[in-house]
Amino acid sequence: MSKIRVDNLSKVYVTGKNIETPALSGITLEIEPREFLAIAGTSGSGKTTLLNLIGSLDAPTAGTIHFGHTEVTGMSKNELAEFRKDHIGFVFQAYNLINTLTALENVEYIMLLQGVAPAERRRRAADLLTRVGLEKYLDHFPNQMSGGQQQRVAVARAIVSEPSVILADEPTANLDSKTSEQLLDLMLELNREKGTTFVFSTHDPMVIGKVARVVNLKDGRIAP
Amino acid sequence: MNTFAKIALRNILRNKRRSLITISAVGIGLGALIFIWSFVEGAHRQMITNYTSYITSPVQVQPAGYQTNPKLERALDNSAALDARIRQNPTVRATSPRIRAEGLIASSEASVGTVILGVHPSREILVSTLNKRIAKGTFLQDGDDQQIIIGKDMATNLNVGLEDKVVFMSQAADGSIASGAYYVKGIVDSGVTEIDKGLAIITFTAADELFVMDGRPSQIAVQLHAVEESTQTAAGLRTALNDPELEVLAWNTVSPILQQWLDYDNTFIWIIVVIVMIVVAIGIMNTVLMGVLERTREFGILLALGTKEGQIIAMVGWESVFLGLIGTAAGLFLGLTSSLYFQETGVDLTIFTDALNAFYMEPVIRPCLNFKYTFLSGVMVLATSVIVSIYPAWTAAKLVPVKAIRSI
Repeated sequence: MSKIRVDNLSKVYVTGKNIETPALSGITLEIEPREFLAIAGTSGSGKTTLLNLIGSLDAPTAGTIHFGHTEVTGMSKNELAEFRKDHIGFVFQAYNLINTLTALENVEYIMLLQGVAPAERRRRAADLLTRVGLEKYLDHFPNQMSGGQQQRVAVARAIVSEPSVILADEPTANLDSKTSEQLLDLMLELNREKGTTFVFSTHDPMVIGKVARVVNLKDGRIAP
Repeated sequence: MNTFAKIALRNILRNKRRSLITISAVGIGLGALIFIWSFVEGAHRQMITNYTSYITSPVQVQPAGYQTNPKLERALDNSAALDARIRQNPTVRATSPRIRAEGLIASSEASVGTVILGVHPSREILVSTLNKRIAKGTFLQDGDDQQIIIGKDMATNLNVGLEDKVVFMSQAADGSIASGAYYVKGIVDSGVTEIDKGLAIITFTAADELFVMDGRPSQIAVQLHAVEESTQTAAGLRTALNDPELEVLAWNTVSPILQQWLDYDNTFIWIIVVIVMIVVAIGIMNTVLMGVLERTREFGILLALGTKEGQIIAMVGWESVFLGLIGTAAGLFLGLTSSLYFQETGVDLTIFTDALNAFYMEPVIRPCLNFKYTFLSGVMVLATSVIVSIYPAWTAAKLVPVKAIRSI
């Protein structure tokens, strides 16, 4: 487990005829290992952009991001892919499962990239899906499951490779309150049990109520 | 199954109709290609077989320089011994010494230029099938030294029929005037203009006497067990005979124009091959590229999860390989079954008989499956399907995860 350090991070989107739209400005932030943290803010405040930059899905215009002593902002595309595979788990707002893979295969996928033996990855994926209450849906494809079930598969996929941090972009946005609460409790449990760092981007009061720390963003800056 | 291959296969099944159209295009294209190869191969074999069984034999042994300057004075000495040595070659089926000359043939009404062959009838029918092309009368027999065979067009031009008298005039090997009268015993209808219009055949004995050849033939026609071995047999005989006074020529040297025809045909086939490959390439690329563009978001997720560029390329590549493999299997089935079926029944082109005969072909052409070209066609289709996947695969691999995930 290592600390995430964000230093003076900026992101400017250039659209159309060189029209610059600043999304983030001078973000400096430290996320401790095992933290259960939310980046909150209104729509357009830059929380998803910040989460994407921390997850190295996008490149900043300026500033650096360190995972422990490793700076990820200078890595090549393949190095970043390798880093994400081993250190970061993602839970997306729209679940983003692979439609042509079953629930079990979706969860297995990252272990496949990591070179885990087939029998081992099948066992671990099945265990984890059982843990999130989907033992009857192992061979179901995403379009055969409800939104809540898909999001639980997404959580299982994010946690199965035991990354040091899980980045969850508005994970409850498409779920009803009961399913949302169950999902958050599951993630809190995993946080406590495995020590995984969770970083949420959200404006859902239920999520904000569950986390230990909230970082508020406003107009691309950290609000005091 | 490899997970990337499994994803690729499921992506193909995801849009069944589009995949089926692509596979059909590949299959029909390849099937047509294999059938065309077989048809052309069958037609070419027929052309070569017929051509080398009329006048020009698969291999000819004659005096050095005869091919470029066929004078009567150039004739083969000790032809019996030479003939015996040629027959020792195991690929040789039969031989027939011939005297060949040119001159004027006349009836009471007209005269035309002609090539005249002096042959031993009983031996000639072992190297030539012209005796089977007699439309009227019969072919010569040994001892028919007063008889002549002429082509049907020549008969028309001379206005003669069976048993009518014609007179041949030329110059003998000793420089004297060669003149002889013969009675028409048979009229040939080969369908080949140069034979039907300009060939006459008498016995070797008659030609020997007419041209004062002292028993020396102009050439020895060599028929083989397999006409495909003409070039190798000619080279083998050249080495075995080892005589600078002789030239041993395969049919394609004797008649380069037929070889040029075959080469032209083959060039044309290669143009068809290129067109089919372009159709295959466009079909597969369209399907795979559409699939990639539709799944931009999915590729973004795969990249976000840590999938490397090479793995994305492999995944897209697998899709092309599967489309290519299934299309190739369908094409092989179509091509093989159609070729084998028509190999048995033949393709009936009777309505084009005259045109086909002019090119030494029969009205019914039997395709001949060529496994080399069948294999080559399959490999080319597969290779094309892999090559065209490079662009869509590269497009998918170069996506920026965050942008790709945001796409619809």
